[in-house]
Amino acid sequence: MRHLTLSLLAGLAMAGPGLAAEGTRIQVTGEIIDTWCYYSGVMGSPDAVVGSAHHTCALWCSAGGIPVGLLAEDGTVYMVLKVGDDAQAAGGDTLLRLAAHTVEADGMLYERDGLRYIVVSDVVSDLDITNQNHDDYGNVPPFSIPDPNK
Amino acid sequence: MLRHLTAAFALCAAPLAAQDFSEGSEARSWNLYAEVPATFEARVVDLVCEFTGDCPADCGAGKRQLGLLRTADDVLVLAMKNSQPAFTGAAVELQPYCNEVITVDGLMLDDPDLGARNVYLVQTIVPPGGGDKIKANTWTKDWAAEHPEAAGKGPWFRRDPTIKEIIATEGYLGLGLETDEAFIADNF
Repeated sequence: MRHLTLSLLAGLAMAGPGLAAEGTRIQVTGEIIDTWCYYSGVMGSPDAVVGSAHHTCALWCSAGGIPVGLLAEDGTVYMVLKVGDDAQAAGGDTLLRLAAHTVEADGMLYERDGLRYIVVSDVVSDLDITNQNHDDYGNVPPFSIPDPNK
Repeated sequence: MLRHLTAAFALCAAPLAAQDFSEGSEARSWNLYAEVPATFEARVVDLVCEFTGDCPADCGAGKRQLGLLRTADDVLVLAMKNSQPAFTGAAVELQPYCNEVITVDGLMLDDPDLGARNVYLVQTIVPPGGGDKIKANTWTKDWAAEHPEAAGKGPWFRRDPTIKEIIATEGYLGLGLETDEAFIADNF
């Protein structure tokens, strides 16, 4: 029983916060998203703040330095910290030009305190915008396209 | 023995369960579904450095994503947003305190359904050693200094040269100018 107790205590210690995870090589396919709108709900439901409907807002948030995510097909979000040699993930051009695009990425995954971070070594392919959801949601937010009548 | 085991569990779990970072917070609500006020002391860290060991002295000069390594429990919080309602992040606000210990106040987002854990909107910063709270709202001023050629009326995101260039070629929807034209004709 003493061994069991020690094992459980050791398990608790390992499960606690502050234990940096080791990197794992992964390949993942997903959409480059604006994580603030996705997580906060400030602009609408998660399905509305991705794809072509949200392309312009995704550009604004990426250029504004908000963390960019890679939303995988299974719904997992990976926070992108670097793409190739470009570590300018806070407002840099590489990620800005991929806003709302679906990409196949190869990189290192780091998990820490409930979030997944990815350092992308290579964008294997850029499939452009595949989630054409503007007919379902319009442009989100509505002011993302200036009203031509004003 | 079972009683001892239970006590051991309780002893380990108690310090974590007792953490309430909303106590003392003066954060303003943004009326977000998953927001929780939170103030805490933390070290500002460069996330790429933290994970890979690639560590420039200036934490990337505001161009790398930064985290807040919380003193109380060593949890790494992702600094996602500054206090401006203007599509602006937090790295520029935190970078001056690279690798230093500060106290922040703001809103934590906690939405397990979406996987939002330990993501944070920074509203104010108390610098190392104490002092008055500094508003985390310098991003637009910093952008204006970097883009004197884009000076003018209207919000920064309508004037940013790279955003304008991308929209001019790919359209607002990102699908080309013809798609934009048809969408605008149908919806405006």
